[in-house]
Amino acid sequence: MLIIVGQSLISGILMGGIYALVSIGLTLIFGVMNVVNFAHGEFLMLAMYLTFWVFHYLQIDPYVSLLIVTPALFLIGVVTQKYLIQHLIQAEHYTQIFATVGLSTIMANAALFFWKADYRMVKTSYVSSTLTFSDLVVSYPRLISFLVAIGITVLLFLFLKYTYLGRAIRATAQDIIGARLMGVNINRVYIFTFGLGSACVGIAGALLMPIYYAFPTVGLHFVLTAFVVVVLGGMGNITGALFGGLVIGVVEAFSGFFISPELKEAVYFVIFVLVLLVKPSGLFGLTKG
Amino acid sequence: MEVKKINLGYGQMQVLKEVSLHVGDQEIVSLIGANSAGKSSMLNAISGLVPISGGEIRFEGKRIDSLPSHEIIEYGIIQVPEGRRIFPFMTVKENLEMGSYNRRAREKNRDSLQRVYEHFPRLAERKSQLGESMSGGEQQMLAIGRGLMAGPKILMLDEPSLGLGPIVVEMIFKVLQEVNRQGVTILLVEQNVKESLDISTRGYVLENGRVSLEGAAGDLLKNSYLKKAYLGL
Amino acid sequence: MSFLKGNYFLGFLILLALLVAVVQNAFVLHLLIMVFTSAALGLAWNFIGGYGGQLSFGHAAFYGIGAYTSTLLFVHLGLTPWLGMIAGGILAVVASLILGIPCFRLRGTYFTLATIAFAEVLRILVVYFKEFTGGSIGIVLKFNAGFLNMMFKNREPFAYVALGFMILTYFLSVWIENSRLGYYLTALKENEDGARALGINTHRCKLIALMISAFLTALIGSFFAQYLTFIEPESEFSLGLSIGLTLSVMIGGIGTAMGPVIGAFIITPLQELLRIYISGEHQGLQNIIYGIVLVVVVICIPQGLYKWIVGTVLKKRAA
Repeated sequence: MLIIVGQSLISGILMGGIYALVSIGLTLIFGVMNVVNFAHGEFLMLAMYLTFWVFHYLQIDPYVSLLIVTPALFLIGVVTQKYLIQHLIQAEHYTQIFATVGLSTIMANAALFFWKADYRMVKTSYVSSTLTFSDLVVSYPRLISFLVAIGITVLLFLFLKYTYLGRAIRATAQDIIGARLMGVNINRVYIFTFGLGSACVGIAGALLMPIYYAFPTVGLHFVLTAFVVVVLGGMGNITGALFGGLVIGVVEAFSGFFISPELKEAVYFVIFVLVLLVKPSGLFGLTKG
Repeated sequence: MEVKKINLGYGQMQVLKEVSLHVGDQEIVSLIGANSAGKSSMLNAISGLVPISGGEIRFEGKRIDSLPSHEIIEYGIIQVPEGRRIFPFMTVKENLEMGSYNRRAREKNRDSLQRVYEHFPRLAERKSQLGESMSGGEQQMLAIGRGLMAGPKILMLDEPSLGLGPIVVEMIFKVLQEVNRQGVTILLVEQNVKESLDISTRGYVLENGRVSLEGAAGDLLKNSYLKKAYLGL
Repeated sequence: MSFLKGNYFLGFLILLALLVAVVQNAFVLHLLIMVFTSAALGLAWNFIGGYGGQLSFGHAAFYGIGAYTSTLLFVHLGLTPWLGMIAGGILAVVASLILGIPCFRLRGTYFTLATIAFAEVLRILVVYFKEFTGGSIGIVLKFNAGFLNMMFKNREPFAYVALGFMILTYFLSVWIENSRLGYYLTALKENEDGARALGINTHRCKLIALMISAFLTALIGSFFAQYLTFIEPESEFSLGLSIGLTLSVMIGGIGTAMGPVIGAFIITPLQELLRIYISGEHQGLQNIIYGIVLVVVVICIPQGLYKWIVGTVLKKRAA
């Protein structure tokens, strides 16, 4: 029994790392720009497909194609920000929501149109390899993906804390007028932040390919999960998103095992609503760290 | 700094009507007036946060009124805004270092920091404390310190004494004089008429978006209208 | 704005009724049914989304509750859908209270996210309890023509019912707009704290708007179950449906009674035509188009066509 609990725990934590990475992109964008991007999941989908095609045509391993996918998604983020999101920042809430929902519809259906509905998988040599620690079995690619996700999070954290641009981003999130008066070019910060958030999602996409599969609407599941994580961790809070991701990963694994695999999503949505009610600023408070 | 006949409106409201003022090198100039007289708008116009509709703003001879705010900062025109606007979740040190974000100030970061700690020893004591946990007076010191970190040629302050007790106000104004002696020009927007005119070279009084009085600080303090309206005498 | 209300609109409605009576072509009738229900759904959503200012992307929950309740009662107990849909409506109202009472404390985007989660949970639950609901396979309604069964051999009666829904929701909207509830809703949309300071019970207002919205949406869900004779969780509870039913509102004008009607008349024929002429191989193309339309409309004419037209006409008159 203990072994099964342990197994679920590990499985949950490993998946949670990836949820965390997807959510970090979302929360960063929200914290800095106050824009909710409903199309965030479609960026993930795009990254997954890109990883797939790179593997399919160039035989490049997903973990290596990170070097291609990440800048690609960064660029896509920058372009989206410049030509769409920028117009939404001053707009009414409902305009933001509808416009990004529209974008999400366009992207998901474009994927459906061009690439069809088939599931795409990346089959590398190590896809089914496992490591065994006493009685616990750990999927090798899941472990790698988890470690990379954590590594990126740490890097991001250091970037935000110690570089001038990183601080400019935090300053913009905390007091935009104060930031402007210190000479921060807010437009550039917005563009960069959106690109950065998209890059995070891009990395998550590449990391997901060895352990999941791509299809046009894969974004929906992950974006809903990401929203739950973001709310749990506090909108704009990066460390919160990290812990929130791990928590959700574990909750999902446990409810999948102890309640029912079909109901696991329902469980964390219920948690989502509960958190929204009890502490809408997230379990980790208001900090925009 | 030369502001010539600028107009500024928000929608239907004209906030500044043909206002002109100038600040000479190393002067301390006060801009006085009641609430919503247009004082903050003046500073925001100079800093490039709001557009003007008519007139021009020049600094050291160059026109700056249509430049974006981050370029205006590079000229050394630094504003310490109303309400301080410090970064609540950054430490004192991080707040100050954010001050030297602009390119001109970055290399001088260490020296500037040293000097700010000399002006405001309290900030040095609390350098690892988060901005939001500081008292009003400390936050004001932090805001001014941050402004100084930006390497200003002219430092513009929007109501620094607002909400602060007299001892802190006195201390802050002393620091401003000291900073001025070190070569920084100061444009001071205040409701606290006596304190600010006391340290100023010249002053302007803004009423309903127009300059109603101007002159040397000493003369203004003796002006009967000013005494009645703003000093309650 | 009144030039479109009152007599003109009544005349328009009579025209539509005549149209239904006269037209024999099954496709055109189908088109009319789709337009009327699309308008009705949009108007129903508008109660909470437009007048209430709370964007819900979970209305499929209420639609699905309506569809499943009346269908299950019909298939298992033989209850006539005319009553079944009322039952569905009542259940939807209960659901809306479960959603609204806790979640109206949330502002803006948080509320929208909660509605999405709500619909998703319902979908998951319906799939899970498959012995009761038929699971993801869905339920087929055996065709058995008759008024009590709300099933008809040709489409004309369906069209009348659909028209009836549209008229009902339209006049309810107009009534609300001019009622005290409507004024309260406008006030709280502009400034919720201010409204509360004036003594308006904002939670109650929003809840009432949501309840009305849920009830009407469920009715239409039931109607559609009878019309299509097939229901499944993917269609009835999908996010795509929730988003789709707001399309006519956004195009026509959010927060107005005419808006969803105009929007429906414009977008629904386009949708149906696209569905026919773009066959299965080009899956997804029509949704790409809707997405583009949504983005363009929301950015360029966020107030919707109706307000835009009225605004331009008023400006010309003033000039």
